[in-house]
Amino acid sequence: MKLSAIRPIALVLSREMAITLLLLLGVSFVVFIILYLSPGDPFSALLEGQLSSGESPSGAHEVLGVPPSWYARYLSWLANLLQGNFGTSIRTGMPVLGEVLRVGINTLILTLGSMLVTLLIAVPIALYSVVRGINKISWPLTMFAYVVSALPVFWLGYIVIYFFTHKLGLFPLAFGYATTSTKFGWLYALLPIFVLGVGNGTISEVIRSLRDEMGRVMAEDYIRTARAKGASVWKHSFKEGLLIPVTEIVAAKIPFILGGAVIVEQVFNWPGMGRMAWQAAQDRDYPVIMGIAILAAVFVRLGSLFQSVVYVAVNPRASKE
Amino acid sequence: MKSYSQISGEIGEFSDLPFWKKADTVDLAYVTYGLLIVTLVVLSYFLGSFNLLPHDPQDLDLELMMAGPGTAGHLLGTDFMGRDMLSRLIVGIQAYFLPGLLAITISLLFGTLLGVLAGYHGGRSETVITYFTNLVDSFPRLVLILLVIAAFKPDIYVIMIVVGITNIPVVASLIKGKIQFLKQKNFIEADTALGLPTRTIILKHILWHNCRSLLIIQATLGMGEAILMETSLSYLGFGVQEPTPSWGNMVQSGANYFMKGQFWPSTAPALAILFTILGFHLLGDGLNNILEGRRGK
Amino acid sequence: MTTAPLLKIEDLRTYFYSRSKQAFIRSVDNVSLKIATGETLGVVGESGSGKSITALSVMGLISDGPGVISGKIGIKTDRVQKNLLHDLGDYVTVTKKDNKIMSVKKDVDGWQQRSESMMSRVRGKEIAMIFQNPKSSLNPFTTVGKQIAEAILLHTAITSEQEAKDRAIYWLDRVKIDSPRLRYENYPFGLSGGMCQRAMIAMALASEPSLLIADEPTTGLDATIQSKIVDLLAELKSELGVTTMLISHDISIISRLSDRVAVMYGGTVFECGPARDILAVDAAAKHPYTAALLTSIPSARNVREKGYLQAIEGDVLDTINIPAGCRFYSRCNRVTDTIREKCERHEPDLREIAPGHKVRCWLYFE
Repeated sequence: MKLSAIRPIALVLSREMAITLLLLLGVSFVVFIILYLSPGDPFSALLEGQLSSGESPSGAHEVLGVPPSWYARYLSWLANLLQGNFGTSIRTGMPVLGEVLRVGINTLILTLGSMLVTLLIAVPIALYSVVRGINKISWPLTMFAYVVSALPVFWLGYIVIYFFTHKLGLFPLAFGYATTSTKFGWLYALLPIFVLGVGNGTISEVIRSLRDEMGRVMAEDYIRTARAKGASVWKHSFKEGLLIPVTEIVAAKIPFILGGAVIVEQVFNWPGMGRMAWQAAQDRDYPVIMGIAILAAVFVRLGSLFQSVVYVAVNPRASKE
Repeated sequence: MKSYSQISGEIGEFSDLPFWKKADTVDLAYVTYGLLIVTLVVLSYFLGSFNLLPHDPQDLDLELMMAGPGTAGHLLGTDFMGRDMLSRLIVGIQAYFLPGLLAITISLLFGTLLGVLAGYHGGRSETVITYFTNLVDSFPRLVLILLVIAAFKPDIYVIMIVVGITNIPVVASLIKGKIQFLKQKNFIEADTALGLPTRTIILKHILWHNCRSLLIIQATLGMGEAILMETSLSYLGFGVQEPTPSWGNMVQSGANYFMKGQFWPSTAPALAILFTILGFHLLGDGLNNILEGRRGK
Repeated sequence: MTTAPLLKIEDLRTYFYSRSKQAFIRSVDNVSLKIATGETLGVVGESGSGKSITALSVMGLISDGPGVISGKIGIKTDRVQKNLLHDLGDYVTVTKKDNKIMSVKKDVDGWQQRSESMMSRVRGKEIAMIFQNPKSSLNPFTTVGKQIAEAILLHTAITSEQEAKDRAIYWLDRVKIDSPRLRYENYPFGLSGGMCQRAMIAMALASEPSLLIADEPTTGLDATIQSKIVDLLAELKSELGVTTMLISHDISIISRLSDRVAVMYGGTVFECGPARDILAVDAAAKHPYTAALLTSIPSARNVREKGYLQAIEGDVLDTINIPAGCRFYSRCNRVTDTIREKCERHEPDLREIAPGHKVRCWLYFE
């Protein structure tokens, strides 16, 4: 790509970055407010020893016995976050950031894997419906997508586990990481990815929006031109009809899939962020759940940023707007 | 002046047809199924409230555990403690029905408010609302709820308030889009030119005449969301606790038996969830296609 | 014309089935046209007269949906000779009861596959097409140059990318786009409407087709740009001698470029023949509709003679409820008492009244 083409892209991207940072600031504030209002007073534990010291802006109040104002608490907490200090887990006593990042990678694998599964199911059905309209093949497929989207993901998990442990005997019944030492261990990792990919409740919506978008593009004048000149309709419709909508969907569905991951990790004993969040909510382990909420939001915003990058890179008009 | 429009007078105008004649049979089937499910849910809710049940949902019958569906006296069988499945399923609706309505009310009320602000006034309020929308969308809903649970140990109503809040952006952006569409068609301009008070324009002309069906559809889809959330949470052990039945905790408590090959205690509530959420989804989409005319070919 | 026609449309009917109205929209109804090699046929008519649908039928671009196409579209060039609608009727089943159509079933998949295979070596290669609204007709995601090069690689003997690029630049230059080398790299959004149409023309001609269909090539452009596009088309016509089917509602464009003219109304052809016979204002024998169309053009002569512009009364024909008689009957101002009954009850045929000049009107028949 030429330098002249990169400059406008860089301009758009720096704007997107700024928006992302502004949103993450908002995210931290929402998390702060929820915890600040909590009767458990989590900040005393989180900011222990910091606010009474001289460097605190509200140090003077502290001497007089007045509790520090909420914004002082927020600012010092935010400063801690920016330095990577998310506090220590009440339950394990370990630093939160390290713990969450360690399991976060598992959740990342699970989430991206299931997104792929969802797309592998949805894209062919959507494309088929665009080409052929509603007929005796696409109609049952659409119906199937509706049913699958309403399926409780935990129950789907049970069915899959039962089938693979009892019927095929591939894994020991005691679920969990430890059981993957058999020669089908790698397969065990695929099960939750498959279950979450099928059962995250978004398939029918993904199919519908892909179909509508592709259908809209297929009716565009320039696709008619492509047909008139004997060129491949798919080649011409790929960018606007498939690539852009797919990245949009991936970005938009990350929060849903992360939510579904909480349940699927529970069902499969998958050592990820979702399971950790569940544990933390049980134990009221504020620092951990806070760290997870913030990292999940970072993940969502990165997905959205990625979508903007693809959009700007693919669409020559985007950088002119 | 001679004109062909006189000769062709018998042609029916498409838009004058009653809506069921315009609708695809497919959409009609969706809506019919959806309405059936809604009726069943509402009916069962009242049966549960007035305790008009075939059995006491807590009544143990140790003689008759794990009875399959169709057993005499127990239409849908019994669970692993011999409790009547049908009664427990009916009572399980109590867990989400009113909380779900609360979630819908919040999202529709505030979503409409924000949508009108952004669409009608535009400008800075629109920027603020876009920011709010993106902010809410940044959190995976379940993670946000777990955070709230950790902070407050709240009951299901508070959780459903959170669910309602997370649904506000969807409603707001739909209302905003509708108003911007009406603006484009100079509809609102015409109203203003007629000297109608702003209140009449917004309440009657915009919301009642043009956003009614949209709100109904969102209410339907919102109920589906609420059921999904409640069952997920009670499955995770944060919602209604045993022995009070909820569909989610019923699936969970039957898990061990499921792995031993006794599927029914988990499967019955799971199917209830499946058919109910499916009903709300189909009703919402069917209504959307019929009332808003947005069928992708 | 003595040369064998390049394109011969016989009895073409393109109907769309309207589900909501439970009736056929007869967009093209019994159209027969011929285009000989080297000539330009101008098809003129109001919007809704079926001229664009005729062109799209030729290109096989309305194969999907619940439409029915019948008739013959024969194409004969050095490379191919076939009927583009051959066997397509097999995919449509019409159920009739009491001579009324009860239901129409179309095997859309079969139809589409058949039509696509029929068109595969024709579209772009034998027949190229340019459209109205050039800006939306070019792919906004690809550079203009690449789109032209694609047509070259698909349809000509050129196989190397570099050669295709050079050739595309040659064509950009040929359609009088300034600094073609720079424009090659431009995306359509960076070009004006007129430039986009030039690029479209370059793309169509670059594949060296036997026939060019120009569907309202100037519609949607500014008036000054319109005349420049017409100038370009006229120049290309004299230099390259491309056989062209030019479709427009604008008689001045048609008269500037056409050798022969076909006047369409309500989905059918009312009159066709040499351009000078039909479009000359003082020619005696012509269809009342053509005459009305000519007097409705804002020209100095029309205004001078009448002092005002004459509009054609009434509305464009509704193509669902086509009357039994002449389609123009209710708007016609030349119905005489002697032929009134025929006009109202029976549709006239397209009959030759002078060599190569055919008219569909009872006025000129016994």
